[in-house]
Amino acid sequence: MKKLLTACLLIILCGCKNSSEEKNEETARVEFSPEMKESISRGAQVYNNFCASCHLSGGEGIKAVFPPLQNSNWLKDKQEASIHAIKFGLRGPIKVNGEEYDNLMPALGLSDREIADVMNYINNSWGNRVSDEVTEEEVAAIKK
Amino acid sequence: MIKTLLFNYFYQAFLPSQKGNIGCSFFVIMLISNLHVFLVIFEVPFYGTCNQQKTLKMKRLFILCLALSLVSCGENNGKTEDPNQVTDNDTIVQNSPVTIPEEELTTAQYEYEVVVPDLEIAWGMDFLPDGSILITEKNGDLILFKDGQKQQVQGAPEVYNRGQGGFLDVAVGPNYESDGCIYFTYASEEGEGEGGNTALMRAKLENNQLTSKEVLYKATPNSTRGQHFGSRISFDGQGHLFFSVGDRGDRDVNPQDLTRDGGKVYRLNLDGSIPQDNPFVGQEEAVKAVYSYGHRNPQGMIYNESTGEIWVHEHGPQGGDEINVVKKGANYGWPLVSYGINYDGTSFTDETSGPDFEDPLYYWVPSIAPSGFVHVTSNKYPELQGDLLVGSLKFQYVEHLTLDGKTVLAREKILEQIGRVRDIVQSPEGDLYVSVEGKGIVRIIPKQQ
Repeated sequence: MKKLLTACLLIILCGCKNSSEEKNEETARVEFSPEMKESISRGAQVYNNFCASCHLSGGEGIKAVFPPLQNSNWLKDKQEASIHAIKFGLRGPIKVNGEEYDNLMPALGLSDREIADVMNYINNSWGNRVSDEVTEEEVAAIKK
Repeated sequence: MIKTLLFNYFYQAFLPSQKGNIGCSFFVIMLISNLHVFLVIFEVPFYGTCNQQKTLKMKRLFILCLALSLVSCGENNGKTEDPNQVTDNDTIVQNSPVTIPEEELTTAQYEYEVVVPDLEIAWGMDFLPDGSILITEKNGDLILFKDGQKQQVQGAPEVYNRGQGGFLDVAVGPNYESDGCIYFTYASEEGEGEGGNTALMRAKLENNQLTSKEVLYKATPNSTRGQHFGSRISFDGQGHLFFSVGDRGDRDVNPQDLTRDGGKVYRLNLDGSIPQDNPFVGQEEAVKAVYSYGHRNPQGMIYNESTGEIWVHEHGPQGGDEINVVKKGANYGWPLVSYGINYDGTSFTDETSGPDFEDPLYYWVPSIAPSGFVHVTSNKYPELQGDLLVGSLKFQYVEHLTLDGKTVLAREKILEQIGRVRDIVQSPEGDLYVSVEGKGIVRIIPKQQ
């Protein structure tokens, strides 16, 4: 009986270990400049403070209510519109990964720096890979 | 204890994500579906022949193994594809008298009509004696809806519109007919330090202009954090005003510290002075306006006329929204006890209750993200009369809680899929109005009698 348990435990641990290694490999592939790294880490704080309560900490959103940011075609294809949405708010309907979302996201009152940081964080988290850095100037240039 | 642990791990594994590591989630599902089989395998041979302790030991070993595996998987974002599988939680919480599982949530059809269209986030609303509606828009606009027309009221307070902060609640004072006083809460940058915190203002409305403005309370310190400003305002019919301020995203600092603002329900006299029988008036360092503490973020408050009490509901973290009966000097335990977990799926407390803390009257797992609260007294809606209505930001409906005294008997969805519900108010004529983000204000049409 004990052997069976140990075997079961081992299999579980192996299974999990493998996937964690894969994940590390994946994140290690992209090399960021020190400035970008700092921006991403500041962006993580902004994200958890302002975004996570709706889009959730893994960026997965809630189906049909809050669109996902993880692996989102909308985010990938509409970088400028994404910045615009964070800066000025966004009113639906929009289609994300084939699913319709018709809600209202308020303007968040973030500074241009904070918006650039949170964009860099979102662009490079949870498997997202938009390596072009979003700068404060770029955010400032986007008008209502 | 083990139950709580297991509950947390199940929760962690299932709730927070719709997409996760498929390999890992498969394993979790397998484990859970095999749990019973394993227990049977281990239990049956031992149960008849050996003492019960051995079975228990085996069980514990297995649970430990299961918990460990879930922990390790949790760190890898091991989450299932199907968010509906949270039902596993309910087997853990089913004995509690104060919650009702999601599967027992029924739906009722109601018609509604849009009364005030084209609003963004109408955070608060209240009625003037002439039937016009005062509306606070989160972005700082104060709107008077009168004779079918929206008018922008001048002289609204300057709001700190950041994150969840902005223009919050509005409440027409109980002596409006004689003193013309209206009360507002809003996020404000007033005072020292960068950022903002919740303020309470009293003002009068004259010729579409706010006059005689007085800030009755301003919570400190200012903070650039975007969370948990509260806030709702209610009156107890005995010359007191109650309002709430959330923990401002500083849960380990504010809610349990009586010398600080945040995570509190406050009680003031209508002129803003502090009632001498407030619970902490005698404590030198304490914030004297505090009436109860250990709250997270109350965005619903009612005066329950039948019990003579102020009730609040408040957002929990992930899971663990609560309805609390506000008692003088009571501690509601945030963040030391909670039915919820962190947004990232990790746990911060094993305890849901404790001798020093007031238990909720009702709690929700999973969270509905409650905002707006009404105790229906109107006889226009006999099937709702005497019950509670709670808005759900997350699931976009109004929740009807059947109430018997202080016990919630049933949950029912009304206005399903209407949108993010921010506020609910019963008008002086007894009609129910609901503010829906991105939509405006709607009136629930009473059913034909």
